[in-house]
Amino acid sequence: MLLHVLNRSPATSRVYQQALTMMGEEDRLLLVEDGVQGALPQMVRHFGEVQGRLFALEEDLASRGLLGRCDASVQVVDVDGFVLLTEQAERTMSWY
Amino acid sequence: MRYAILLLGAPYSHQASHSALRFAHALLARGHSLDAVFFYHDGVQNAARLAAPPQDERHVVDEWIALHAEHGTSLEVCIAAALRRGLLDEREAARHGKSGHSIDAPFELTGLGQLIDLGQRCDRLITFAP
Repeated sequence: MLLHVLNRSPATSRVYQQALTMMGEEDRLLLVEDGVQGALPQMVRHFGEVQGRLFALEEDLASRGLLGRCDASVQVVDVDGFVLLTEQAERTMSWY
Repeated sequence: MRYAILLLGAPYSHQASHSALRFAHALLARGHSLDAVFFYHDGVQNAARLAAPPQDERHVVDEWIALHAEHGTSLEVCIAAALRRGLLDEREAARHGKSGHSIDAPFELTGLGQLIDLGQRCDRLITFAP
């Protein structure tokens, strides 16, 4: 299982499509930095195929005033949870 | 576990440096070790010896130095990326006839082979990009 880390919003970059194409069935996707916009209810549809394997970084949500605004299907983790996700994954791939 | 970080973003331009520093402290707090941070592309700007941000702002360069002092993390800077951006240590400055140097220990100028080595040696290599 790989962890994919995406720091771009689907509103401004299509790199998320490449990430989704490369993701295996068990792989997880963590949204960080501006990527956390993808966790909002109006954007989360872009990540429908990885539902249940989609995470967003709490600190980056908070710094953008988006904490508590995520879609219910997104699992919010703090930076400690980010490290835990990297522990659990064989490798980490960053998309930017 | 043994971790390494690859940092590609310049401080004060992108969030990458801040994200990497935050991740570094979190992994150390969880009991892992951070063997090295490898600075590549615009990430080499994190090693600028002469950086002098306002006193009420974070000093990213000094935070990397503190990480080295407290945890022994080596700070490796890609020499090819650094030289073309005007980041030279004393030896390179002398070699290129420059009057001053802009990188100092504990940052070390090194080659891409070191990055490959880190990828093989460490359990996890995490990339922070602009």
